[in-house]
Amino acid sequence: MKYLFLAISSFLAIIAQMIAGSNFFLFNFLDLSLILIAYWAVYRSRIQALFVGSITGLLLDAVLGWPLGYNGFGKTLAAFVIGLVARRFNISEVWMRFALIVSASCLSSLSIYVLFGLMQRSYSNIFLGASLMQALITGAAGTILFAALDSYISAQAHKANQP
Amino acid sequence: VSIEIELAPKIKEGRALAVLVPLLLLNLTLLSVQVRDPAGTLLFRKWVLLAEAPIFNAASSASKTTLNLWRDYIWLHGAREENRRLQESLRQLAGQATELKQLQQENLRLRSLVTLGETIPYTTTGAHVVGRTPNYMANVLYVDRGSADGVGLDAPVLSGSGVIGRVVLVWRHNAQVQLITNPDASIGVLLDRTRTPGVLKGTGDPSLDLGYISSSEQVEVGDVVMSSGLDGIFPKGLMVGKVVESRKGSSIFRIIRVEPFADLMHIEEVSILRRETIRPPSSEDSFELKPKGSGNNDGSQ
Repeated sequence: MKYLFLAISSFLAIIAQMIAGSNFFLFNFLDLSLILIAYWAVYRSRIQALFVGSITGLLLDAVLGWPLGYNGFGKTLAAFVIGLVARRFNISEVWMRFALIVSASCLSSLSIYVLFGLMQRSYSNIFLGASLMQALITGAAGTILFAALDSYISAQAHKANQP
Repeated sequence: VSIEIELAPKIKEGRALAVLVPLLLLNLTLLSVQVRDPAGTLLFRKWVLLAEAPIFNAASSASKTTLNLWRDYIWLHGAREENRRLQESLRQLAGQATELKQLQQENLRLRSLVTLGETIPYTTTGAHVVGRTPNYMANVLYVDRGSADGVGLDAPVLSGSGVIGRVVLVWRHNAQVQLITNPDASIGVLLDRTRTPGVLKGTGDPSLDLGYISSSEQVEVGDVVMSSGLDGIFPKGLMVGKVVESRKGSSIFRIIRVEPFADLMHIEEVSILRRETIRPPSSEDSFELKPKGSGNNDGSQ
């Protein structure tokens, strides 16, 4: 049941991203699935985050019409790195979270780029530039979303503590 | 009152790695059983062979020495026979090529006698674009027509200004279209001015590569490129794009870049050709052409 929920949440993130991207050009550069992975790695379970990364990546490959595995590999790796950093460092600082999401996004894109080379697949010259822009926009959006989530959790905790 | 945000529970490093490695391997294996190298060999098979190669080499070198003379003799004997057969077939092919050239010239002469346009009417299905992936990533889009509407696999997809791509996946009410800019896409084309055939390949960029045009050909910027019909997917005579760059390369072929006529970034509606109306080109085409507007087309082309 838990893994069905993971798959559904991944699927919804991709659908939301596609719909937003169709209507607003800039949303093409927002990687909602990576934010979902980061949420899972930071707030839930690192192990589950790896599965979310893999499932989301494979779904993304299917939607993009790519051979399955490019994004599956990249997103799983990103999930691992986010989980690892979240465990070892204090990531409550805003700038730290921003840097973490941007780095994870860059790592994901870079691994896909390397896999392209390994699989002898040609790629667009603007792939790396666009990936960097995607990383920055995703980093900013993720940081804002996480800050909002923290505020919400704090407010709920305050309410619960009041007599 | 300071409230601590509860983060993910701490997990031992080894446990995460134990999950990470199989997942990464799973993705790599998935990729390797789908992706082929330029020669068409599955990368998985290539890698397996690569791993097996040293073992094979060691085993074969043991028996190689004793069998060399005998095998070389057999091989040379076979080569002589094969050489004789190849020369014979070369002579036959040269004869066929001459015959084909004569037929082409005859076809051209007959065509000039028939006052018909190049455009052939086909049955088309109109479709809306309902989704697209960022162009720099995939160069595919989704349309709201599927097998229930008569859309078939490999059906050519057009806009008002030219070829967009072909259908690569079909569901009942939707289809996935691979744009001509996709690195996996290619079309058989010819240059309208010189009638030189070539192969147009997507690069992932907004412009396309036109390959297999000899360096001796005169190709100029602005030359119109249209489908040749030789790929068995796109019928002949569909407008594809125009040449934006043409120069001699280091190989025997020219380096030619082509810009599609269709604005692939802003497509909202497309036409999909119905497979049953598309015929492969034949030497009798000039006699089967129908005038524009006639025939059983429910859409228009």
